[in-house]
Amino acid sequence: MIDNLPLSANFNESPLLIQVAWIASCVLLSVIILLSIYLKIMRFHLRKKDKDNAQFKNEYEAYLIEYLYSGDTTGKINELQDSIIQKLKASVSIKSKRKIIISVLYNLMNEVSGEMSVSIKQLYYNTGLINYALKRLESKRWHIIAKGIGELTRFKIDEAHHKVSKFVNHPRSEVRKETQLYLVSLFRFEGLSFLNNLTTPLSEWAQIQLLETLQKFDDQQICDIRPWLKSTNDSVVLFALKLAQIYNQFEVQDTLMELLAHPKKQIRISAIQVLTHLYGVEAKELLKANFNDLSLEEQICFFGMLEKLVMPSDEPFVEKYLFHKNFEIQLLALKILKSINIDKYMGLSETTTTEKDSSMIKLVNTL
Amino acid sequence: MDTSTVKIILQILHYLFFGYAFLAIVSYIILSIISGKETLEYLKKNSFVHYKDILSSAMSPSITIIAPAYNESLNVVENVRSLLSNHYVNYNVIIVNDGSKDDSLEKLIEAYDLEKIDYIVNEKIKTKPLRAGVFKSKNPAFEKLMVVDKENGGKADALNMGLNISKSKYVACIDVDCLLLEDALQKMIKPFLDETNTRVIAAGGVIRIANSCIIRGGKLIDVNLPKNLLVQSQILEYLRAFLLGRMAWSRLNGLLVISGAFGIFDKEIAIAVGGYDTNTVGEDMEIIVRMRRYMEEKNEKYRVSYIPDPLCWTEAPDSYKIFISQRNRWTRGTIETLKKHRKIGFNPKYGSFGMLSYPYWLIFERLAPIIEVIGLIYFAILIVLQEVKWEYALAFLVLSYMFSVLFSIIAIYSEELTFHQYKKKGTGIKLVLLSALEPFLLHPFILYAAIRGNFDYFFNKKKKWGSMVRKGLVTV
Repeated sequence: MIDNLPLSANFNESPLLIQVAWIASCVLLSVIILLSIYLKIMRFHLRKKDKDNAQFKNEYEAYLIEYLYSGDTTGKINELQDSIIQKLKASVSIKSKRKIIISVLYNLMNEVSGEMSVSIKQLYYNTGLINYALKRLESKRWHIIAKGIGELTRFKIDEAHHKVSKFVNHPRSEVRKETQLYLVSLFRFEGLSFLNNLTTPLSEWAQIQLLETLQKFDDQQICDIRPWLKSTNDSVVLFALKLAQIYNQFEVQDTLMELLAHPKKQIRISAIQVLTHLYGVEAKELLKANFNDLSLEEQICFFGMLEKLVMPSDEPFVEKYLFHKNFEIQLLALKILKSINIDKYMGLSETTTTEKDSSMIKLVNTL
Repeated sequence: MDTSTVKIILQILHYLFFGYAFLAIVSYIILSIISGKETLEYLKKNSFVHYKDILSSAMSPSITIIAPAYNESLNVVENVRSLLSNHYVNYNVIIVNDGSKDDSLEKLIEAYDLEKIDYIVNEKIKTKPLRAGVFKSKNPAFEKLMVVDKENGGKADALNMGLNISKSKYVACIDVDCLLLEDALQKMIKPFLDETNTRVIAAGGVIRIANSCIIRGGKLIDVNLPKNLLVQSQILEYLRAFLLGRMAWSRLNGLLVISGAFGIFDKEIAIAVGGYDTNTVGEDMEIIVRMRRYMEEKNEKYRVSYIPDPLCWTEAPDSYKIFISQRNRWTRGTIETLKKHRKIGFNPKYGSFGMLSYPYWLIFERLAPIIEVIGLIYFAILIVLQEVKWEYALAFLVLSYMFSVLFSIIAIYSEELTFHQYKKKGTGIKLVLLSALEPFLLHPFILYAAIRGNFDYFFNKKKKWGSMVRKGLVTV
């Protein structure tokens, strides 16, 4: 029956479901053909774009190097430099070219210092690139704002301080992160004042970035971190603890002692670690007295402290934990005993009964 | 049974098959839309990320790469060199030689100037005992490397040994023959450090196929499309699975599997759940399900994250025999995991994990090959009974074929618009042609392997991993 009728008549006589299936198949086939053709065009354009970008990059690099080396000590723009500015100005209005120019400028900025760095910043202003970055801050899309702030940070545009700092409590963490980096990159420890009013959590990633940025500066004069150690924002407290450790903040030991009773376990553990680093002997005594009230992680951490700050008077305490069921505590206790009373330690192998304990003693012996 | 009853049964079966196929197609469409959104969001988020800071920071968290090796003598020295060339600052590598019968250990000792050290394993997870012991290099250039030689206990047991030994907060479990890009660790660790209110318990990365790619000094130099049609088809399959599937499940926080080839775990949780299960061949899926279950039962907010960047490249099987063996194992692994954790399925106590992820895997992954085979048998019976309505059959066969080709093309677009790894001229058209051929080149064998996997699971309990012969990647 199917064979004898023309295709259209056959189709019209088919049940609705079959008609729908064939129409859908035809639509899908058309889409497949169109997408296949477009894929070829798109891949061609992607390859061409890569090629063009490489070419533009070389061209702009040459312009910029010529610009930098044709300058004189007065800092005034000469004719050649002006012509380069005009050429670049014409290019920055095209988004793809602007992106390349910014990338070339930034790479150059990383390679030079002093006057040349100032000259690049000046060029950033003269070509009007600054306006595009500032315009990005007005965007409604969060990633455009974040990109804009990132660019202002890279070119050290401290004049945008007021415009950028309003994003410090932006709902998107990416925008907040870029804002924080801007403030710290340009205003160093003063830039950290955003922590005073930070209501949102500071991620571990953001903390590492901020610490790395701070460590790049020659001037390592840190401000008072006590208010941040007392912050109600736990992530700010954790960040301040890292600052205390990196910048050896011996003067905040009292505040650190208070943190040993903080409701958050992670903060208590970090406080023990920082106090260990700062030789907090008082903390050692306090923790020793309350050892049984500590969580297992805190106990392990405390033994880490004891390993560093141990005194002969700690021996009776350590002896109680030589055969503790926790591997880390037992290992540390044995190491500590070995360091303070080697004779007693050597005598242990004769008194141990289990294979685990004797191999542990053997191991510590080799350390 | 009279003819009207038979007709009613046939009618019901028609609707069941139709409904299943319809739901599968709808789910693919929904997942690909969600994947697209998630990938775009990821690209936006990462367009201004400063990875350099994390690379050089001493404050960055420590990561241990655990790579089990069994009879890898041929490439183990080069593979370890690749693992040691990562740019992340705070990491170390533990190679667990899982009772290899070849000279893997001797080669490692010689190449990396290793010496035996005194070491007691803190056995948080029970494993097979050490054999030759623990080795470290005398050469400071290889200070990040530790080689552990133990009695054979399988991949899961070797990974557990690595978990016991690692002192890091995070562990990256990888196949020793995988090529890890230099920036893989900092990209994979980011989700763990970025979250503030939710604990990220594991993160997986996209696995790419490295056959025919050029590798120099442990680095990927040139990406090529292999000539072998089976490998080409797997490339397409991986693009679909990773870019259109797993990204969506990541968005829905419903990922049940992270490829065993490369994944990072929160060590504390991995140990708390008892490490890898040594009694399954699908240990990579099982540990994720167990970790999720643990977090759900503890009522803690958590996530399993996914990174779409092409960070890990591996060798895919280039013969149907090895391919079928691999897929057979994957099927058995899925069956074992879903069966072991059946308590989760359709259990509202486990939230979307129990009500969405698990049921989806059960219905559209676990049962799919069985339903397909039943469908084929049913179709054959209809042919014999001359009950096939050919105009319907043909129309829907063509429609499903068109959909499958279009779906593959969308996966190609997803790749081109994001990571654009296959840049060479002519590759695009080859991939499009492959989309048309792949349903014939790959799907029948996947179906066959899955059925064999089911058969082996129920009737051949002794079957374990099966052979996975690798030829080695193109190294210059």
